[in-house]
Amino acid sequence: MPTAWCADCFNLCVDELGLLIKMAYITNTAGAFGRLWRYRDLVRNLVLKDIKVRYMGAALGFAWSLANPIVITFMYLMIFTYIFPSTQPHFPLFLVTGIVHWTLFSQVIGQSCEVLVANSGLIKKIYFPRLLIPVASVLVNLVLWLAALGVYLVFYPLLGGKFSLVLFVYPLYLLLFVAFIWGLTLILSTLYVEFRDLKHLIEVALQVLFWATPIIYEVGRVPRHIQEVMILSPLAEFTIIFQQIFYANKLPSLNITMAFFAWTVVVVGLGLWLFNRRVPESVERL
Amino acid sequence: MANDAAQSDDVIVVDHVSKSFTLHHNRVSSLKGRFIGLFKQRWRQHVEHFHALTDVSLRVRRGEALALMGANGSGKSTLLQIVAGILRPTSGRLWTQGRIAPLIELGVGFNPELTGEENIYLNGSLYGYRNAEIRRLVAAIVEFSELGHFIDTPVKNYSSGMYMRLGFSVAVHLNPEVLLADEILAVGDVAFQQKCHDKIAELQRNGMTLLFVSHSMDTVKRFCHRYVRLDHGKIVESGVFERDQQADQIDGSVSSSTQQNANAAASSDRPGNAVT
Ligand SMILES: Nc1ncnc2c1ncn2[C@@H]1O[C@H](COP(=O)(O)OP(=O)(O)O)[C@@H](O)[C@H]1O
Ligand SMILES: [Mg+2]
Repeated sequence: MPTAWCADCFNLCVDELGLLIKMAYITNTAGAFGRLWRYRDLVRNLVLKDIKVRYMGAALGFAWSLANPIVITFMYLMIFTYIFPSTQPHFPLFLVTGIVHWTLFSQVIGQSCEVLVANSGLIKKIYFPRLLIPVASVLVNLVLWLAALGVYLVFYPLLGGKFSLVLFVYPLYLLLFVAFIWGLTLILSTLYVEFRDLKHLIEVALQVLFWATPIIYEVGRVPRHIQEVMILSPLAEFTIIFQQIFYANKLPSLNITMAFFAWTVVVVGLGLWLFNRRVPESVERL
Repeated sequence: MANDAAQSDDVIVVDHVSKSFTLHHNRVSSLKGRFIGLFKQRWRQHVEHFHALTDVSLRVRRGEALALMGANGSGKSTLLQIVAGILRPTSGRLWTQGRIAPLIELGVGFNPELTGEENIYLNGSLYGYRNAEIRRLVAAIVEFSELGHFIDTPVKNYSSGMYMRLGFSVAVHLNPEVLLADEILAVGDVAFQQKCHDKIAELQRNGMTLLFVSHSMDTVKRFCHRYVRLDHGKIVESGVFERDQQADQIDGSVSSSTQQNANAAASSDRPGNAVT
């Protein structure tokens, strides 16, 4: 009995591996990309629709996307000015850097579950590349978030930040960050079709993750052995990277860059694989 | 396999397609439930495979019109969804060619908060059109739908008839090479229905292929050359409509003899025009 089970597992793994290679091959071919590219106006229309419907227009959307980081920043500034005064130089800059990037992550991931289910009306009635739905969902949040980033950059020198050449590497890391978030969205939206209580789990996980990530405290404050575990978290890596760029004006170290790059590749790969494998069958369960 | 078998003028080849749905009795769609199910029998879901389609084969040539008939639940919509690429067959092969416009439902993807015009763009892009291409068609779509100045108001203010009219207008103006129509022509008032029928006939003259689901023998005979009848997911009957009726009907002149024929056929088919 256990041997049969092992054999089954093994066969499954081999199957999956073959599929994974095939998938990677397919997604790499220009043909697949060309097909997606042909639908670029669909992505545009979906993004505009969402901004219009969900946020009643761009102006209000931008305002809402600003509200969240501003409120959080303000609260923690109060706490760390009056209750636990921080000794860190330019503490507000440190705080805002972490919170601005955390906001993008938490907003997309908080909504990620419902991406497929919310669009079931479309998915069940017409064929189009399904991958574009999570693309549009991430883009909506990204576009609105860019306003927050803009405001952040305006206040950046006022908070004591220095515009140095290091900032030029920022877009690359931001791109990686967005890719990572997108990959995670693929995974969570696919799983949510099967597991409808995933949403509550994610809400809790986001809470834990916020505190387990060095956003409102420096990673150096954490005991060494915990630090070593903490640094394995992709979100901690990213937060540290952004703090190094904006707060310390240092190029992120190669180690942490490699670690995060690996995370992104794994998550996007897993996301694409899961999505392409599960979604065609999930359609009938939406 | 289907690929090799397909001749150059085949547009749709359905090759021994079966589709079974998994019915989850006592469906457990939570992580918690799955976990408890490991220990407690009562929490486990019982899975049953329901065969919606069994070994269905058919081919449709370019410019041809095939009617799918059969009672409710016989698998017509499922077959259309498979041809449209929305569902995957459990076994068998499907091969299609050309731009397919599935009209499984009118006004798919219409968002109630958007205006009629914005929805035209959204709907068109779902069918794979660029906004620039749609822009050239908007005027014609609006005119056909007879929505007038309502086109600038949110779709949530439309009556259901207006909604359908807009959905139909978008789909037929995108010049699909293959139209999959699922019981969609029984909507709107008589005048608009006539207009829809004329439009479909016009598209057919221009070479459009049609896969058509309807309960009304009358309508089916008007557009289709052939029919296939499904029963419990199997093809139980197929046949050809006589040529002369076909020609008459497409011209729009309904002769009384064909009308009678059609009625007789319709009533033998099923009492009344049930809608799924
Ligand atoms: N997503 C689904 N999950 C489970 N069963 C389904 C699903 N879609 C259709 N069915 C079943 O398949 C059968 C055929 O349905 P359908 O193709 O809609 O029939 P028709 O269009 O001919 O009335 C029905 O019994 C229906 O209950
Ligand atoms: Mg049906």
